[in-house]
Amino acid sequence: MNDANLTLTLAPAAEAPRPLALTPAQDLRGYLGAHLGRALLFFITFTSVLAVLLILVFVVVRSVGFLSQSSLTEFIASQSWRPTAEEPVFGALAIIAGSLYVSFAALVFAVPLGILAAVFLSDIISWKVRNVVKPLVEILAAIPSVAYGFFAVVVLAPWMQNQFGFSTGTNALNAALILAIMALPTIISVSEDSISALGRELREASYSCGATRLETIVRAVIPAAHSGIIAAAVLGMMRAIGETMVVWMASGNAPQIPHPWWDLAQSVRTLTATIAGEMGETPEASLHRGALFAMGVLLLLMTFGMNVISEYFLTRAKKASGRT
Amino acid sequence: MNLSVRGKLDRVFTAATGLSVVLLTLVLVAILGPMVYRGSSAVFFQGTVEFRKMQRNLFGRGDEQLLHAEVAETEEFRRQVYDMIDGFKKGVDVEAMSEQAREIHRQFGQELRDKNLPADQYTKLRELTRQIRDKLDSAFHSQDIDEIQRMVAEVLKNADNPQLKDTSAEKLFAIARQFLQAARQIDLSKHHEYAAALREVEGILFHSETLPGLLGPRPGEPAAPLVMLRYGATRWDQAQALLDRFLWVQEWVEEKPGHPLVMKRRVRAESFPPSLRPLFAYVEQNAGKMLRPQRTVYWQFLIDDNVNSHYFGGIGPEILGTMLITVIGMLFVIPLGIISAAYLVECSSDGWTMRIIRMGINTLAGVPSIVFGLFGLAFFVLFLFPLLGFEPKPCILAASMTLAVLTLPVMIRASEEAIRAVPPSYKEGSLALGASRFHTFLAVTFPAALPGILTGVILSLSRIAGETAPILFTGAVSLGAVPHSVFAPTRTLSYGSYDMAVGDRLAMMVPHNQYGMVVALMMLILILNAAAILLRSRVFKKLRGQ
Repeated sequence: MNDANLTLTLAPAAEAPRPLALTPAQDLRGYLGAHLGRALLFFITFTSVLAVLLILVFVVVRSVGFLSQSSLTEFIASQSWRPTAEEPVFGALAIIAGSLYVSFAALVFAVPLGILAAVFLSDIISWKVRNVVKPLVEILAAIPSVAYGFFAVVVLAPWMQNQFGFSTGTNALNAALILAIMALPTIISVSEDSISALGRELREASYSCGATRLETIVRAVIPAAHSGIIAAAVLGMMRAIGETMVVWMASGNAPQIPHPWWDLAQSVRTLTATIAGEMGETPEASLHRGALFAMGVLLLLMTFGMNVISEYFLTRAKKASGRT
Repeated sequence: MNLSVRGKLDRVFTAATGLSVVLLTLVLVAILGPMVYRGSSAVFFQGTVEFRKMQRNLFGRGDEQLLHAEVAETEEFRRQVYDMIDGFKKGVDVEAMSEQAREIHRQFGQELRDKNLPADQYTKLRELTRQIRDKLDSAFHSQDIDEIQRMVAEVLKNADNPQLKDTSAEKLFAIARQFLQAARQIDLSKHHEYAAALREVEGILFHSETLPGLLGPRPGEPAAPLVMLRYGATRWDQAQALLDRFLWVQEWVEEKPGHPLVMKRRVRAESFPPSLRPLFAYVEQNAGKMLRPQRTVYWQFLIDDNVNSHYFGGIGPEILGTMLITVIGMLFVIPLGIISAAYLVECSSDGWTMRIIRMGINTLAGVPSIVFGLFGLAFFVLFLFPLLGFEPKPCILAASMTLAVLTLPVMIRASEEAIRAVPPSYKEGSLALGASRFHTFLAVTFPAALPGILTGVILSLSRIAGETAPILFTGAVSLGAVPHSVFAPTRTLSYGSYDMAVGDRLAMMVPHNQYGMVVALMMLILILNAAAILLRSRVFKKLRGQ
């Protein structure tokens, strides 16, 4: 081999359409463009945060007038809600209690059912059947709340009145049942996510010890997925407490605390329903309107709180299932 | 624990989980099934001739000539009803007859004045008819058949008086004869009862002060101010309900003291003397011929405006309003959502800003819908509009913007998922060819993610269309004109459904329209959601390379 014979032929360099090196001006423009564009995109993305802040500010500002003029202890501790009386009394205790009451009652129906359905979807049926059942749950979530409310007041209320002899069909039981149906899709999908995220190892270890499916799920899977299930319940509660149309239409709107406490057949009234029902009749800048905005603040605080709790449990659930 | 017991428990548990899903399905069917069935009867039903009359008069639909022929045929059968009732009324409705007699007397006086009779003759004739009138009046109010016969005979003695021939006073004798004939057949002590029962029957057959009846107003009657009273039963199901009320009287009676009231039905014909009873059998047998039910597809339900607060007509303006609010809301939410999602996926470098943004989105998704309503009122209507020089009034624009904020998290999450699902190799290929990140996103990632983003768009659409609480104070009204600009409030399907479920008593009388509205809303949303679910499953199959 003779190295000297080797001739290196280079193809002539292709004509570049423009010089490869940019001028400083182009360089600067590109740099600025990329960063300004990014800043613009960031600002647009920030709209969501801005919206949350605006919601908080505007709802709080409108309620400040009320909170400074009226006593907060009366608002939280008094049971008499007489906003249009000669001497108006704004005691929201019964209404706050009503909100919590129907939401908890809804959870009592929804959580066991939701966990059973989540177990069914994740552990019992095949992937194919699951893909048929999942859309059913989604449809349940998609039905607009006013349609549920319509069903509650036009179909369910008269039926309950005739069937069980309640004095009124629009009561806490009616609202709680419908709220349970509305909270179910959230509860099912969140708890199913956390149950199926656990992986096969846990289940197989349990089966190899000779446990039946029931024992595996109750003793191993559900304890391991408890964070996700708690998060699911909290999210379901959030859905129930923030729901307006159904409780407005179905709960009877009587500002009272049921007595005895377990009597679901009595009418109650919730925060959301009070806002929805009374807002239209209040003059601007009145105490009454301020009180309704204060209820809005209360609702916001409740949902913020539940949001934080659910986030906490969801993060724990993710850690527990070994995902990042 | 015993092995077989454990096995059994296991099977019970499995069955319970399965049952929970079955229960869910049943709930879904129980909610959707009856509502869709009853709602569809707003479009598919048996329409009577009254329906076609109403469509002709209110909306200008249908063939005028055919309708006239049909109405003439039904009038043929209805005339007998009118005759029977009029004949019976002659003997019973004494107040009406006294009034009639007085009217004739007045008319007769007018005629006499027109004839320019001498004063003494005029006074004499006036006196005569006054006596006749008073005698008739006391005969009408008498409950003794002998007395009536005597009085009527006295009245009829004047029938041959030549001076009364061919005048309106002759009508008095006709009334007297008819009354005598009718009075012989009925129990006179029950005059008032009969009159009250007859008024009720007339209310059911024609119309009462407030409620429409089976056949509608009688021909020649002046048009009622309420549109719904101008027509009879427009639907055969309505007609049958009215027929049932016509044939049976429902009463709540206390069977034993202290017990709840019990509903009893009794035959209405029994509250009338035998002379009227054939009416009930006649109406029952000939209801079909008097109303002519026909299968009708009233698809115009979806475009018509309502008449008489949803008694007649359809839900056109509601559908239009829902579409307007949805489309305008989407104009805001689509760009915002896609850009946010793109930023979250492509530029998610720095930790804490991202965490704040994510927290913001999660929090926004959890805010109760009614609080969005408060926010829309406080921010858009009362703060932003005056700032920009608009009138601070609830309107379509405010409602759309409020709903846009509400659906932003839905849009962002769905788009983000779609953009993340694009395989990284696509993007890396483009970057390797020297394209900028911005260019890569526009030319490669975005088109690949588009079907998934579309799913998000559809889901947001359905969310906006279905929400009610946020637009309560920001732009929805229950009744009002069709909006001509985005600064006017509008009716919507969602608020309309609420209003018809609880709002007014009139809506309870037209359950088909009540259900029709809510089913239209549900169908819109279910179709959108089904489309989203299908689209998504196809997209993910494609991206997984199947």
